[in-house]
Amino acid sequence: MTTTVSRPAVAVRAAPAGPRRRRALTGLLYAAPTAFMVGAFFVVPLGLVAWMSLHRWPLLGVPSLNAPANYTGSTGDTLLTDAAWFTARYTVIITVLLFTTALGMALLVQRKRPGTGLFRTAFFLPAAVGFASASLLFLGLLSAEIGPFGGVVSVSGSATTALGAAILLVLWRFAGFNMLILLTGLQAIPTEVYEAAKLDGAGRWQTFTHITLPLLRATIALVLTLIVTGSLLAFDQFWILTRGGPDNSTTSLVMVIYRKAFIELDLGSAAAVSVVLLIVLVAVSLVQLAVLRDRSAP
Amino acid sequence: MKILHPVTGGALAVLFLFPLLWSGYASLRTPDGFGLENYARLFTDDSGIRGYHVLNSLTVAALTVGGTLLVATLGGYAFGRFEFPGRDALFLVTLAILMVPYATILIALYVLLGWIGLQDSLLGLSLVLIMFQLPFAIFMMRNSFAAVPRELEESAQVDGASSLGVLLRVMLPAVRPGLVTVALFAFLSSWSEFFAPLILLNSTDRFTMTLAVVNMRTATFGAIDYAALEAGVTLMAVPCLLLFMVLQRSYVRGFMSGALRG
Amino acid sequence: MKRSIAAVLLMTGVAGCGGQAADDGPATVTLWTRAATETVSKAYAEAYNATHEDTVEVTAYPNEEYPAKLASAAGAKALPDLFAADVVFAPQYASQGLWLDITDRFEALPVAGKVAPAHVRNGTWEGRHYAVPHTIDMSVLLYNKDLYTRAGLDPDKPPTSLTEFAAQARAVDKLGGDVNGTYFGGNCGGCNVFTLWPSVWAAGGDVMNDDGTASTINGPEMAGVFALYRQLFDEGVAAPASKDEAGPTWLGALQSGNIGIAPAPSVWLGIIEEKADFALGVAPISGLTGGESTFVGGDAIGVGATSKHAGAAWDFLSWTLGDEAQIEVIAKGKGVPVRTDLAANTYATADPRVVTINSLMAKGRTPYAKNFNATYNDPQSPWIATFRGALFGDATASLTDGASALTASLAK
Repeated sequence: MTTTVSRPAVAVRAAPAGPRRRRALTGLLYAAPTAFMVGAFFVVPLGLVAWMSLHRWPLLGVPSLNAPANYTGSTGDTLLTDAAWFTARYTVIITVLLFTTALGMALLVQRKRPGTGLFRTAFFLPAAVGFASASLLFLGLLSAEIGPFGGVVSVSGSATTALGAAILLVLWRFAGFNMLILLTGLQAIPTEVYEAAKLDGAGRWQTFTHITLPLLRATIALVLTLIVTGSLLAFDQFWILTRGGPDNSTTSLVMVIYRKAFIELDLGSAAAVSVVLLIVLVAVSLVQLAVLRDRSAP
Repeated sequence: MKILHPVTGGALAVLFLFPLLWSGYASLRTPDGFGLENYARLFTDDSGIRGYHVLNSLTVAALTVGGTLLVATLGGYAFGRFEFPGRDALFLVTLAILMVPYATILIALYVLLGWIGLQDSLLGLSLVLIMFQLPFAIFMMRNSFAAVPRELEESAQVDGASSLGVLLRVMLPAVRPGLVTVALFAFLSSWSEFFAPLILLNSTDRFTMTLAVVNMRTATFGAIDYAALEAGVTLMAVPCLLLFMVLQRSYVRGFMSGALRG
Repeated sequence: MKRSIAAVLLMTGVAGCGGQAADDGPATVTLWTRAATETVSKAYAEAYNATHEDTVEVTAYPNEEYPAKLASAAGAKALPDLFAADVVFAPQYASQGLWLDITDRFEALPVAGKVAPAHVRNGTWEGRHYAVPHTIDMSVLLYNKDLYTRAGLDPDKPPTSLTEFAAQARAVDKLGGDVNGTYFGGNCGGCNVFTLWPSVWAAGGDVMNDDGTASTINGPEMAGVFALYRQLFDEGVAAPASKDEAGPTWLGALQSGNIGIAPAPSVWLGIIEEKADFALGVAPISGLTGGESTFVGGDAIGVGATSKHAGAAWDFLSWTLGDEAQIEVIAKGKGVPVRTDLAANTYATADPRVVTINSLMAKGRTPYAKNFNATYNDPQSPWIATFRGALFGDATASLTDGASALTASLAK
């Protein structure tokens, strides 16, 4: 996933063919449980989802092939297209805010100074709370009934407050986690590099843009991929906090999938949207990694 | 700048701790002051938490943590140290687990668990949760293994240790922080998971704590018992927060060795 | 070995076709319900289990996620022996075949003709019966008698028309302070079909065609009802929180004792009085100029299509419709009997308000539409956009646009 790890140290460079094949077999054997778990519990269900997307799939009874109706049938669905736009917009906003917050925090606690340990713990602690629990926590925190800001703003009062509440929740819950990943990247940059830059008379900002960022590119790629993936699949924060409202202003793509599957009982269409979303996600991730990885090769 | 660091850091720390502290505070607030009433209500309500809910949650967490550790250790070792056909493809497919909408795949998983007779079972639920843990766990373990100096493994091999022996005696101690990190996150997510148990479990006596808490919240239409809700959130969060603080050194090191240095 | 397999097949086959539960000893019948109905389902089950060989086991799921649970269970052929669902969702589940066809069994019941007709109709699909009523909850006006007295109104003269309702709400609202005249769920689809539609019916109008495939929301009756509520909100007579109310704190608002009069579920009478320090009055919901109607809501229940204990499951259902269960379980627990002939029972007559509620059932309706949930209840439904437009936005446009959006959704 990142350049720093994509070439694992493998002790086989000069090994002759026999031991090499044996080593490959051993590797396969170790990978077998993973292959089984991923195959049985991911690839097979995923295949079933893809298969569903080609059929009119009643809850009970016999499915009938109707391809590509599930894919074409949703094109005029304004709820779906609006949700797609909203999800894209949300992803951009969250990516910018969450990334800059996490990076800022990582830079803040990068070097050991008094208080750093405490700050790190405080920033990272929200990651210990399950996301659904965190959403419920914010539901109470922002409620008029018992929240400390009771009645000042209503979460579902306007599209802005609803989105704002979800963003706050996501920043709170995930900033620390992403900070920690970025921190690992920062700490991997040898101090000599900074010292050399200092000798060359580079300023703080120059060091950041010319040394830190380029050397951090692999980690940044990882963090951005995680954030973008998570945002495009956003569900809990809206399901629990805003119910997609007010007036569908915070209805995400996965909420529409949920509605198609469980409210309209149209499993075929739900599967079709899921397949398209999966393809988009894989494509976005590949592009993202390719772009960010390309120039990062030291 | 010297002043900036403690001030910004302190302010941010307060902001980040505030929701947690508030939740604890709100859960202890009662109409006439402070007390454990809200927690008591969680356990005494008709549809509240029972002993077996706690036991079920612990069982699922234990199975998930154990299973994830087993699969990810072996898998991570394979990905990090061996060259074998299909390696990169399997690795990418594992990461793709992160990219599938949860709701859709859960329907398919429910069907699948029916085929193998594991519907409405804690084991079936745990297997599904292990699968969802794999992207993070495999990634972490692969990089942890890759970061172990090659000489360590080679010298053990020269001594004639078997492959499994090398893994158990030499490699495992070297990737301990990674293991702790993987275990911690497997615990956290299985412990607080809501949607998978909701879909995959059918009997009240197999429900987990999260289900009981959410059920209680919606028992009366038109009224949320916010205080009991925050008590539930706090109750669910406290073990995780404690573990996070106790294991902090390990997982920070786990992240350092896991995410970097090929 | 072969023989025992055949025997098992035979046994399950017999049970599946309605053989007696005693076929293979006492059966355990699983019943699913949503959390909001759990207490009633459990009360039924307890009374039944105490006097029968078979055991009914109730599992409750969170309200909001219950449809998801049912759909995924059906998809995995893992439905329980019995499951209850919001009665307005019944046509959808019946049309999808999630419940067993119980036409013959139901029609053979001696009391079949006395079971809440609106509910029974919602449990049918293409002329066949799939579900029977499980609980009944009707929309009524609940008013705070203490606030009425303080506002100089007669607490024994509730409104007989929607116009009077508005006048009384305004009078109470004049008390000022935290007090508001009325309250409604302005961001909650399920709440508004429940509270607003009876006013349309009472005026002789309708909101849909007969088989629930086309919306007639743009008729004059609905427009009049919206205009009245809109005015109450604009004047500040309806509490400002009404606009964002998505349902979860609706009851809480009425429990506060600061609302004069509001349409609400009848089951809240007991819930509010349990803790309230004020007296509560009950009145039927009326149309703009009079009339009476109600939305006969609640839950319907049927036998899961994949059940292996269909005989035992039906035995329980037929028992729940009998006199004993309806009086000793439902009426005793302050609920509304699902039978029209039991409206005035020994428990109800102790409280005239309960008789008022019970007798409304005959005048009430349960709207029938296959795509009810997606069209009206779901947070992303076109109905929410329609009534929010009518109450807080461009009223005329949203009613005409709304009618076509609703029809499109109903006809899916």
